[in-house]
Amino acid sequence: MIVLFLPVSVSAGNIYHLPAGAAEAGMGSVCVMQTGFWSSFQNQASLAFNNYLSAGINYENRFSLKELGTRIAGIIIPAGNASLGMIYSHFGYSCYRREMAGLGCGLLLSENLAAGIQIDYFTEKTPGEYGNHQAVICEAGLLVTPRENIRIGVHIFNPVPNSLRKVFMPVTIRTGVGIELDKGLFAGAEAEMSSGRRLVFKTGFDYEAVKNFRIRGGFCTENNAFSFGLGYTVKFLNLDLSFTTHEKLGITSCASMIFKIL
Amino acid sequence: MTIFATFAVKQKPILILFWLIFLSELIIRPAYCQDESLSQIIMTIIEEFAADESDPEATAIFIEQLHELSENPVKINSGDEDEISRLFFLNDFQVKAIADYIKTTGELVSKYEIANIPGFDRQTAELILPFVFIEDNSVISLPSPVWRNTLLTNFIIRPGENDTSYLGSPAKVLSKYRFTAGHFSGGITAEKDQGERLLDGKPPLTDFISGYLSYTGSRFLKRIILGDFGACFGQGININTGIHTGLSLTAPGYMQGRNETKPYTSTDENNYLRGGAAEFTFRDLGISLFFSRSRIDATPGIREDTSDFTVTGFYKTGLHNTSSLLMKKDIVTETSMGANVTYDFGFLRAGVLWSAGSFVPPVSLQSGNPEDLFDFSGKTCNIYSFYYNSQFRKVLSYGEISFNNLRNLAMAQGITAKLSDRLAVNFLYRYYAPGFHTFHGRGPGSGSNTCNEKAMLGNFTFEAAKHLFVSAGAEIRNFPWLRYRISCPSMARKYEIRMKYIPSENLTFDCSFTSRFSMLDSNESQGINGLSGTSDRLFRFSAKYSPGENLVLSSAVNYMISGHDDSRGMLMRQDIVYRLRQAPLTLWIRYCIFNTGSWYTRLYTYENDLLYSYNVPALSGDGCRSYAMVKWEIGDMADLRVKYGITTLAHENDLMENRDEIRVQLIVRF
Repeated sequence: MIVLFLPVSVSAGNIYHLPAGAAEAGMGSVCVMQTGFWSSFQNQASLAFNNYLSAGINYENRFSLKELGTRIAGIIIPAGNASLGMIYSHFGYSCYRREMAGLGCGLLLSENLAAGIQIDYFTEKTPGEYGNHQAVICEAGLLVTPRENIRIGVHIFNPVPNSLRKVFMPVTIRTGVGIELDKGLFAGAEAEMSSGRRLVFKTGFDYEAVKNFRIRGGFCTENNAFSFGLGYTVKFLNLDLSFTTHEKLGITSCASMIFKIL
Repeated sequence: MTIFATFAVKQKPILILFWLIFLSELIIRPAYCQDESLSQIIMTIIEEFAADESDPEATAIFIEQLHELSENPVKINSGDEDEISRLFFLNDFQVKAIADYIKTTGELVSKYEIANIPGFDRQTAELILPFVFIEDNSVISLPSPVWRNTLLTNFIIRPGENDTSYLGSPAKVLSKYRFTAGHFSGGITAEKDQGERLLDGKPPLTDFISGYLSYTGSRFLKRIILGDFGACFGQGININTGIHTGLSLTAPGYMQGRNETKPYTSTDENNYLRGGAAEFTFRDLGISLFFSRSRIDATPGIREDTSDFTVTGFYKTGLHNTSSLLMKKDIVTETSMGANVTYDFGFLRAGVLWSAGSFVPPVSLQSGNPEDLFDFSGKTCNIYSFYYNSQFRKVLSYGEISFNNLRNLAMAQGITAKLSDRLAVNFLYRYYAPGFHTFHGRGPGSGSNTCNEKAMLGNFTFEAAKHLFVSAGAEIRNFPWLRYRISCPSMARKYEIRMKYIPSENLTFDCSFTSRFSMLDSNESQGINGLSGTSDRLFRFSAKYSPGENLVLSSAVNYMISGHDDSRGMLMRQDIVYRLRQAPLTLWIRYCIFNTGSWYTRLYTYENDLLYSYNVPALSGDGCRSYAMVKWEIGDMADLRVKYGITTLAHENDLMENRDEIRVQLIVRF
């Protein structure tokens, strides 16, 4: 059962934080300053940069164990300066299941500043004496572009002070900076810390090796996890694949498809 | 399966509402904000200061002086030396350089022009920026004869704390009243610490009360103060009731500021002078005289040899909230007097200073332990000093030599050289003999006691590339005699390297690495204690960005490794400062997560707070620290600040401990 709560570098120990999409997982889960589809649910400010009606599905197979799989589906609906995002995730199996549904909104506040918030609803179901539990939390983020090729992201997950609760609920702060070094080459670094956990640093790159084909790599200090990923774009469809290592528990693979509808 | 318990979470619609309001404000209102009172450099200095812990009062003094400046920024374009010298961290020559620059080239158009003035670099300019005012201030008007009053009241309470040993209420209350009328000014400061009685004694007064009347002239009589005052002369070895230099290893300079006596408005209950002070100037000659008699806190005792009443230690915290601590209040009558004469030769400014102090009852700090062998014992203490500052081309040299009762020596000698437009270096040597005693002195880099130390400090600041500044410093300290928990002569080292990248005026990255080596008794079970050395290493990174004038975002990461127990400490925080455009409200919000392995890896982080109050909590354990503060500017006549802060600590078995506090401040001007 312990393995259920073992992070695999995507959320620095906060098991309630949504895993990164395949594109971001391939670059060490560096996502707080990215503007991709899945990043928009890691930092809701990024929603503002998604101007297409789009939908996606993502599957993460942690340590190649089907019981530890996470299935995610999301949709982004643009609306002027703002975009709305909806997300659903499912983790676990018949003896333990954790589900999350979120509704987020990202707004472009000025040329170089965007902000976003999301409300999440969690359920955790376990048979027997443990019962079922629910919770509502919020998360919020900012994305700033001080220069055309530099982006800085800040995100806080569950900022409600724990004094207002009966028990501890993990909080996560993330901040990161990314730079477009050259045409097609993006590199980023991110720091993340969750309640009761160590500080984690992540770094990664995304490079368009040939037209429509991207390769990604990254490293995360938690569990010394290395990541590798591939991405391919076919007209309205993005296909991404990633692999993340764990010092002791093996490889976590992840695949996603994103459809740009309008 | 305690993890399930985490779902016992309450829904918080108020927070959601807050975010929606915040976001809508951002959309509606374009950039507009100036309320960024402390620069990152100053914040770092304060955190270093708090971490050092050798001189806790200095943090309060430093922050108070900064608050005074941020409340009343210096009108730098006036070119008036007295006005510019309110920037207390500048030395005489820097003050003169700014004044000369404005007189010869005209008014500064931008604050950033300061970095181009001889004697300044970008780092010093950054330090000054929050405290100067450029616009519409070219003329310093004559002091207005209109009576102006300011009344400040702070009220601080920690709802969760309830110590039954306290004599009074757990609230901390501070009130300051000041007036100015033409050349005259005056003020009263009253404070009640946590747990002290509000009114006590005969007549019933707050635990600490101080006041002054001051006259500031422009000719022969430059200033006269009656009541409580502070003073600083030379490099501060002999007399310095303010802050000492040498706070940061990568500071742009270590020369002490100007000679001055100034009204005392702080709340340090023991380090001030009470009586009268006068400053006279006649052309290039300056004379200062002061006399003080005050009662200070101490631990009473009886001399074993004569059975006389004596004092065995000074009590400096100012807290009198239990019966035993109240017994230490006002035990000693200290009488101090002194005279300072200085002469300005142009390139050289030199001075001599004499001060004398006497105590009733006599003081005997020697407890019989070897480490106390050189501590003060007796009734009187005379100190004679000679000091100088000189500037020759791009080299600034300064120093002071002092003798205590013509026996024990204390000296400091420093050099600041700007070798090129991109490289500046500093050196400071100091030697404070084990038997040197000063009761109101704070020599450069000395901590709380200016004695038993021989040290060398050096640093450089280099503009390595466009927008990239690298500075590094090293300090080696030798302690010729024993110290607390150190049974042999010992030494300490400190190194620091700092990089600062400022790609644009609204974006700053700052990163530093500090290593400290210190020695302590090794606690051998048999025989004489040996010494063991430990190294602590601290890494800091911060980024600050201001997307618009009304919004400042900053993120910081601290990581510490302690050699004492090989534990790790880490901290990550996010700050937002936002000023609403249509309402006179400013918001400060912080969220900070920390996780430290032990008390040795505790991390200090500066918090924005009430004016004339400060908060640099030592974060230790596993938890979160967050606060929200709002300032409401009620026209020109009043400011109201309310701060709520909470620290949540997680203990074993998911037990939570919450410590919260409420701070309220009202400033009224009439």
